[in-house]
Amino acid sequence: MVMRSGVPGRRSGVRAPRRLRLIYRKFGQVAAWVALCAGLAQITVAQPTSPPPVRDPLMSLMMSQPRLELGPVRATAAFDPPVARPGMESVYRVTFNALEDMIKWPGEVPAPADLPLRAGAKGQILQMTGTNMQPRTTYNFRARAESPGRFTVPEFTVLVSGQPVVVPAASLEVMRDPPIPVTPPQMLILELPATNLFVGQSVTARILSPGLPGGVVQALAQAQINGQGLIMDQSASRQRIETVIRNGTAIPTYIFETLVTPIAAGKLSVFAQGYSVGNRFTGTIIIQGPAVIPGGLPQYTLVDSDPVELVVRPLPSEGKLPGFTGAVGSFTLEPPQLSSGRLQVGEPVRLTVRVRGSGNLARLVAPPAPRSSEWQVLAASGENIPPQVRQAQGFAVFHYTLVPLAEGERSTPPIPFCYFDPERETYVDLTIPSLPVVVESGRMAADRRPLAQARKLAARTEQDELALSGLSAAPGPAARSLKPLQQRVWFPLMHVGPGMVLLGLFLWDRRRRYLEQHPAIVWRRRARRALQRQRRALRRAVRRGDAGQFAVIGVSALKVASAPHYPAEPRALVGADILPLLPEADRAGAAGEAVRRVFAAADALEFGPTAPAWDSLLSLHPGLERALAILEAKL
Amino acid sequence: MSVQPRSPETGGTSPRLRWWRGMVLAVLAGAVLAAEAQADGNLFQEGVAAYRSGDYARAADAFGKEAVLRPASGTLLNLGNAEWQRGQTGRAILAWERARWLDPFNNQARNNLAFARKTAQLESPRLTWFEVVSTWLPNSAWAWIAALSLWTAVGLVTLPGILRAPKAAWHQAVAACGLAVFLLSLPAHLGIHTRSKLGFILEKDTPLRLTPTQEAQYVTRLAAGEPARWVRYSRGYVLVRTSRAAGWVEQGQLGLTVPSDR
Repeated sequence: MVMRSGVPGRRSGVRAPRRLRLIYRKFGQVAAWVALCAGLAQITVAQPTSPPPVRDPLMSLMMSQPRLELGPVRATAAFDPPVARPGMESVYRVTFNALEDMIKWPGEVPAPADLPLRAGAKGQILQMTGTNMQPRTTYNFRARAESPGRFTVPEFTVLVSGQPVVVPAASLEVMRDPPIPVTPPQMLILELPATNLFVGQSVTARILSPGLPGGVVQALAQAQINGQGLIMDQSASRQRIETVIRNGTAIPTYIFETLVTPIAAGKLSVFAQGYSVGNRFTGTIIIQGPAVIPGGLPQYTLVDSDPVELVVRPLPSEGKLPGFTGAVGSFTLEPPQLSSGRLQVGEPVRLTVRVRGSGNLARLVAPPAPRSSEWQVLAASGENIPPQVRQAQGFAVFHYTLVPLAEGERSTPPIPFCYFDPERETYVDLTIPSLPVVVESGRMAADRRPLAQARKLAARTEQDELALSGLSAAPGPAARSLKPLQQRVWFPLMHVGPGMVLLGLFLWDRRRRYLEQHPAIVWRRRARRALQRQRRALRRAVRRGDAGQFAVIGVSALKVASAPHYPAEPRALVGADILPLLPEADRAGAAGEAVRRVFAAADALEFGPTAPAWDSLLSLHPGLERALAILEAKL
Repeated sequence: MSVQPRSPETGGTSPRLRWWRGMVLAVLAGAVLAAEAQADGNLFQEGVAAYRSGDYARAADAFGKEAVLRPASGTLLNLGNAEWQRGQTGRAILAWERARWLDPFNNQARNNLAFARKTAQLESPRLTWFEVVSTWLPNSAWAWIAALSLWTAVGLVTLPGILRAPKAAWHQAVAACGLAVFLLSLPAHLGIHTRSKLGFILEKDTPLRLTPTQEAQYVTRLAAGEPARWVRYSRGYVLVRTSRAAGWVEQGQLGLTVPSDR
């Protein structure tokens, strides 16, 4: 083998073997790569390192919470106390280890008929079980048996997440002389300073949890006041333990105070509930007097109070003053402060108003900014503090920004404000007064000029704002029905009367005109009537035997019956005028004879010197009647 | 003890006894009438007291009874207020419309209607021109105006001839005026007639059905207080026409301005 001296790889006289050359080449490539990586590593190290990813704090908080344990759902049911005296209340309590939203509670519990159950509190709490939390949902019912016996609520089924869960049976033993001392169930007491309130009137409600025998006091968790039309201000709640004298006995009592405000009028039924949680106090608590705080793990028991009836009246609409924003209570106004007393047109100034008082101070709303053609008043801004702080400090501060729009203004505009005083049941004026200022001329911004002009228009439209009116003091004129007159039956019928009257008048007029054209009809009718009268008189004269009257009346009757036939005036007729009206046979007969003799007798009576002979005159009556009948038939 | 014979004419009672009996009956009748009047007045006052104490359900009940007994504009206004406070928008609007039906000059009812419609985002009923004319005066006023003007015209045309009085110029003028007033009042009567068929939906989300059956397809849902015109009745359902659509609603879900006899 021939070896070349010198540097390996270098072309020399001695040529390295091929394998060795390959090894050299590979070594060189590896060395280059190592150098390149080392260089890159140097460059990378020289740059700043990126921070490690930071976990979202909310996510961290969530992840740090104990796990919610949702195992097989079980239900427990028991009476508290299980032994009671007749008339004594006991609490029927059903508890599930499930969330409240998972439970579909039945409408009614199958309780015995002589053990009525009254629904009470229901609630959910998360109970620590080691490192996990377990939900506990409890339903309370009040039970009261008036007679001794054993009362059993049978087992029944409740759907939890769609799956049936059996609530076991529970029994209550009611005995007149129980063998063991019976203690009443733990109950809360809800105290309200007044039960006759106005809408929006805030009152401090106290939930009292009297201590157990032995002075053991348990804290309350999730204390709340249930009821429709009521809001509870949790932010204004306080808790303490103090000794309360009840029924002559000093009892250490846990007291939870909060602010409640009715928001609906009417009769409201409210009750308090909470979980007795032993020594698990949340927040600051003041302890006055001796009290025993139990140790160990708490037993979460849902307790409630008897319901309290509230009568809530609406705020009267009468006497409401401008600027009312729902303030109910008793308030005073401190002198408002202006940031500057000398201004230029268009220069904003700050008005600070401080309202003190008692009532719903935490939710006090600032009066609306008034509309003025000389000022632009921006809506008030309150201090950015929590409501409970505002309630605790006892005053509320509002800041208004005022911009003068006209030169020469001497005072700020008053801001109407009022509150309702429930004690006096009247609205009290609390208008923020004007403050003296000096407004000098200045450069008004261009965008404020149309604003100033629009102010006057806005002031007018403000008067047209709609609102529900008050009650009418009187019913007003009453109608018989809502149905309009036009659709009632009697109204069209009523018009039949005038129509009939007019129709009658029309017909009467037509008849009258006809009779005017045919007077003989009237004469004959009159003659018939007169003849009837004369014939009656004639018969009377015959009955009396008065021949003279017979002759006179007979002549008159003949004349009356004959007159329309000519026609002529009856008095102008003579016997010779009557006879032609009789038929030929009657003219020669008794009728004609009677006519002639009656006329003769009448003439003799009237014109003769001596009285005529009346002997047979009355015997002419039949003939005369015949003549009158003939004449009457012709009429 | 003597027993007086019973005469058949008097039924055995003496005139004095009859007089006393009549007096007692008259006093009792007066007391009953006074009690009824007092009860009627009490209903209104009871409603006012209940309203002021916040018991709106009782107030609405009292005002409703009073409105049935004696429909009056003020009673219906208060009924509307009570219903509004109870959250019954449809019934409140119906009561206020009825108040305006009786008294078109009731500005409080008009204001409340505007307020309620603005608050509940409801539209006013679209009235035709003759219906608008009919709202200018109370319904009874239009009726009496038409009756008096008609009979005045007819009387002045016919009576002078019948009574043979010389026809004067003023007879003709008054008759012409009466006839003109009567003719001008006719559109108002037509408006009253059509407005009496105007109703308002009482319950919120009232379904408007395609057919008068319980299983009918819904055309749309109507808001409480929405106006609808009565077209026809069939088996407990009413065919109504609204500004949006026509369809059937249950009879109890529609309150007519003038209650139907059906």
